[in-house]
Amino acid sequence: MKARLMRSEDLAKLVNAIRRRGYEVVAPFCNKGRDTYYDTVTDENIGRVRLHVANPYYPPKRFVLPPIERLLRVKRANGTYGIEATYEAPKRAIFGIRSCDVAGIYHLDRFYLGREFPDTYYARRRRELLLVNVVCTDAELDISDACFCVCTDTGPAARDHFDLQLMDLGAGELLVVAGTSAGEALFEEPIFTKATQEHVERRRQILSEVRKRFKTTTCWFSATVRYVSQGSVPEKTWEEIGNRCLECGGCTYVCPACTCFTVSDRPTGRDEIERVRIWDSCALGGFTRMAGGHNPRKSVHDRRNRRFFRKLAHYFIQRELSMACVGCGRCAAVCHGDVGMPSVVEMIRRAAALEDKIEPVPADGR
Amino acid sequence: MRRGTGFVEVGWEEALGYIADRLKSIRDRHGPDALAFFNSPRCSNEESYLLQKLARVVVGTNNIDHGTGAYCNNSIQVLDEMIGVPATTNSIGELDLSDVIVVDGVDLGLQLPTVGGVVIRAKLNGAKLIVIDSRRHRVAESADLFLQVHPGTESVLYGAMAKVIYDRGLRDLGFIRAHCREYGAFLARLQEYDLWSAAEECGVSPAQIEEAALIYARARRAALLYSTGMEARSRETIRAIVNLALLCGNIGKEGAGIYALAEQNNLQGVCDMGMLPDRFPGYRPVICDEARARFERLWGARLPSAPGQGAREVFGRNSGWNLKGLWLCRYDPVNTALFGDAAKVLDGMELVVVQHIFLTETARRAHVVLPTTAFGEERVSFTNTERRIQLAEKVLEPVHGLTPAWQQIARVAQLMGADWRYNDSSDVMEEIGAVVPFYSGASYENLARDYGRQWPCTKDRPLGTRFLFGEQGPARRFKFVPVPRATSRRAAMSQEYPFTLVLGHSLYYWHQNVLIRHSETLKREYRILLLDYPNGFVEINPEDAAMLGIKDGAQIRLCSSTGRAVSVARVTKEVRRGTVFVPYFVREVEWQMRGAGTGEQLIPVRIEKVKE
Repeated sequence: MKARLMRSEDLAKLVNAIRRRGYEVVAPFCNKGRDTYYDTVTDENIGRVRLHVANPYYPPKRFVLPPIERLLRVKRANGTYGIEATYEAPKRAIFGIRSCDVAGIYHLDRFYLGREFPDTYYARRRRELLLVNVVCTDAELDISDACFCVCTDTGPAARDHFDLQLMDLGAGELLVVAGTSAGEALFEEPIFTKATQEHVERRRQILSEVRKRFKTTTCWFSATVRYVSQGSVPEKTWEEIGNRCLECGGCTYVCPACTCFTVSDRPTGRDEIERVRIWDSCALGGFTRMAGGHNPRKSVHDRRNRRFFRKLAHYFIQRELSMACVGCGRCAAVCHGDVGMPSVVEMIRRAAALEDKIEPVPADGR
Repeated sequence: MRRGTGFVEVGWEEALGYIADRLKSIRDRHGPDALAFFNSPRCSNEESYLLQKLARVVVGTNNIDHGTGAYCNNSIQVLDEMIGVPATTNSIGELDLSDVIVVDGVDLGLQLPTVGGVVIRAKLNGAKLIVIDSRRHRVAESADLFLQVHPGTESVLYGAMAKVIYDRGLRDLGFIRAHCREYGAFLARLQEYDLWSAAEECGVSPAQIEEAALIYARARRAALLYSTGMEARSRETIRAIVNLALLCGNIGKEGAGIYALAEQNNLQGVCDMGMLPDRFPGYRPVICDEARARFERLWGARLPSAPGQGAREVFGRNSGWNLKGLWLCRYDPVNTALFGDAAKVLDGMELVVVQHIFLTETARRAHVVLPTTAFGEERVSFTNTERRIQLAEKVLEPVHGLTPAWQQIARVAQLMGADWRYNDSSDVMEEIGAVVPFYSGASYENLARDYGRQWPCTKDRPLGTRFLFGEQGPARRFKFVPVPRATSRRAAMSQEYPFTLVLGHSLYYWHQNVLIRHSETLKREYRILLLDYPNGFVEINPEDAAMLGIKDGAQIRLCSSTGRAVSVARVTKEVRRGTVFVPYFVREVEWQMRGAGTGEQLIPVRIEKVKE
C-alpha cells in the first residue's frame, strides 16, 4: 500500500477532486446534538464536511443496498407480458466511511458476490463505488459509548477493503493510504506530499493510544462465538434475551452487516407492476413463515436466537470469511430492551460461566 | 368533488368556495349546531387550532372533537379536577431517576416502544418495576412484580394499596398538609377497602397487593404510567391512581409523577388546542362565563356557551339528532370509530368535507375531498406525551398543487367572511401563544433551537418545564377525590358467561390498518396474520384451554348475550385465566359480541368447542 501526506485544511480540495472525476460524493454531516446523517456533497455544503463526526445512526449500507429497490417492471401489452430489468448504479463515493462500516460493506460483498450466484444489482452498484475511509482517532467525536470494533477486529483503522484511508496525525497533518488503484489515482492531486517513516511511526502510536479509549470493550466476544457455535448457550438465556425484545426490528435496520431482504410485487398502474426488493428483518414474525403456514421461528426468543446465531456462529463466519457483526454499536444504541450485541455477549458469557460452574468437592470427600 | 357516483378534480377556489357556501347555507337553514368539526390526534397543533376556531368563531358551534376523545377525555377531566393540569406531570427521560416505576394497563412494547425502552433500561439500572395488567405483555416479562388482575378491577387494587399505605403509616403527611385538600373525605371512603376482599376481586394474592403498596410507598421517587387511550379506563380508576400518587407525595418531584400516556403522536396537542366539545384552547371550560368572555375578546366574536357533541354522540348508534354537515380533518371514522356505524351517518349528510392524504373509506363518502400535504411537506408543530412541543420542519416539496390542511381551513374561513390573515404557520403559532398561556413562549424560533420545548413554555420560562409543580407548588391545592369501593363484579359474573372478553390491538393491526397498508414490510406481516387467522383469533390461557379441551388452532365459538361468532383459539399464557382476548381484527366478531355501537369493552362470554 502506498501512503502520502496531506494538510487537513485541504479536505474540501480532496472531496472536489473526487467530484471532478464524476462521482456523486456522500459524506456525514452534523445536525443537532450527536445527530449526524449522510448526505450528498454540494458546492453549498462542502464547507461543512468534517473529518471527525459521530458515526451516523443509519449506516451507508443503503448506498450499496437500498431499503427499497425496484428490480424489474412487468407490462402487459398486446396479449403478452414484457419484462424489463431496471438498474440504478450511479458512480458514487462514500467520503468519511468509518472502518466498521467498511467491514460491513465487505461482509455484504461476500454475501452478495462471494458465492455461486452473484447478485447483478448489487454488483453493478458496487463496481461504481469508491470508499474513502476515515480512521477513528478522536475519542470524543468518533468513538461513541457503544463502539466495540476493537473486539470484532474491524477498527479503529480498517486494514483493507477501502480505496483510500485518511488518518488524523494531529498538527494539521493527515496520513493518506491508498488501498486500490482507484484510490492511488487520486495521489496525482497537488495536495499530497511524501510521507516518511516518522509519520508511519506516529500512526502506530496514535492507534495504540486510541485503542485504550474505547468505553465498551466486550471481552469474551470470541468466547461467545464459541458458545454460540457449539450450541452451548442455555435455552433460558435465549428466553431472557427474547423477553426484552420489543420486536421493532430496529437492530436489523441500523445494522451495516445485515443482508436479509424480501421481494414483493406491487401494481404501478393499469396493466403494469413492479417487483421490488425490500430490507427484511428477522425480528418480525413473518420473516420465516413458510408458504404452507409453518413457522419454525414463531416465538420471539427463537427469532432473537436466530439473529445472534447468524451473526456469531462459526459456520457463517467461515462462509462469508467475515463476521456479520462489525462492532459499530448501533444495535446497542437503538435497542429499546438493551439486547444489542454488547449486552447479549455479556449475558451469554455470564450464563455460560454459571453453566460451567464447578461445584466444590465437600471437604470430607463424600 | 363528488359528481354523481364518482369524483372529479376541480380547482382549489371552486372546491373551497363550494364548501364555504354549503357551510353557510346549512348554518343559516338549520343553525350552527347542525355542523360538526372532527379531526384525528395525528393532526398538527396549527390545523387543530384553526379548525376549532373555524367551528367556534366562524360557524358558531362547539361540535368539536378529535376521534379518540371518547376515551381520553376521562383522563383530561380527572387530571384537571385533581391536579389542575391535564397532562403527564414529568418527563420520559426522568424515569431513569425513578426508584419505582408502575406500568398500568398499557402494553408499552406494542403501543409506545420508546417509553417501553426507557422503562426496561431504568429497570436494568436498578429501578423496581411493577406491572399491573390483565395481559402478560412484553414489558411484564421484565417486571419485579406482576399483578395480573382481572380486567376492570384496577380501582379496587389502588384503593387496597392506599389502605395498606395508610394503615402502615407510610403516607407523606408533610406533602399532604402542605399541598392537598379534601384528604379527610378520601380517608373516610378508604375504610371501605379491605385487602382480602380486594385480592379476591382483582384475582391476585393479598401478599402481592401488600408488596406493591410497600414498594410504591417506600420509594423516594415513584412514577406511575397509564394509558389515556385505554378504552376500559374509567374515571374512578384514574382518580384512584392520582389519590395514590398524592398519598405518597409523588408529584412535584423529579423522577416521580403521573404519566398520562398519549398513544398518538399529537393527542396531547389536539387537546391543548381545544379540539374538545367542552373546552377552549388551554382547557378553560366553554360554560365558564369568564373564560368565554376572554375568548370573545381575543377572537372578536360571540361564542356558543353550551358544550357541543363529540364523535361518540355523532357516530354512536342512538345519535338520531339533527346533524347536516361534517368536516373531518385526517380522520377516518368509517374505519376507526368502533363505537358506531359512521358510514351510515355519513351517507345521511348534506355535506361531508374530508381532508386527508389518502382516499380513505371515509373520503369515498365525502362530497368534497381536500388532499393535503403530509408530514415533512409542511412546517407545523406537534406536542408529545411529555408536553414537548416540537417543530416538524418542511424537508420535502409536496406533490404539485397540494396545500397544508391549515391553509385550506383558513381559506374557507376567509371565504365565509372572516378576516383571517396568516402568512405562514408561524403566524398561527404566534396566535396560539397569545391564546394558550402555557404556550406563550413557544415561538417557532424558540422551538427550533432544541428538540422542542416542554410546556409550560412561557415568556418567563422560554426553555420550558421538565416536570410540573417543581419550583412552586400547585396554583390551587391538589384535590383528593374519594373513590367508593366498586361493587363486586365477580358476583355478577354468571355461570352462563364465565369469561371476560377483552378487545384490543395486536402488533400488526393498528387502528384498522389505514396506514399499515402503505408500508411493504408491515403489509407483509399483516397479510401473514390474515393467512394464519382468516377469521381472527381468540387468545385463551393454557389452563382454561385444557379445562375446556381446546387445542391451539382449534375452532371455537364465542357466545355473549348479544350474539355469537366462530373464531380460532390461540392458546397463550399472555392472557390471564378467566379472560379471553380478541384483537380488533375481523369486525364481524366484535360487532356480534358486543352489539354494534355500544362501545362496551369488557364483555361476559361463554366459549364452546366447535365440532369439526
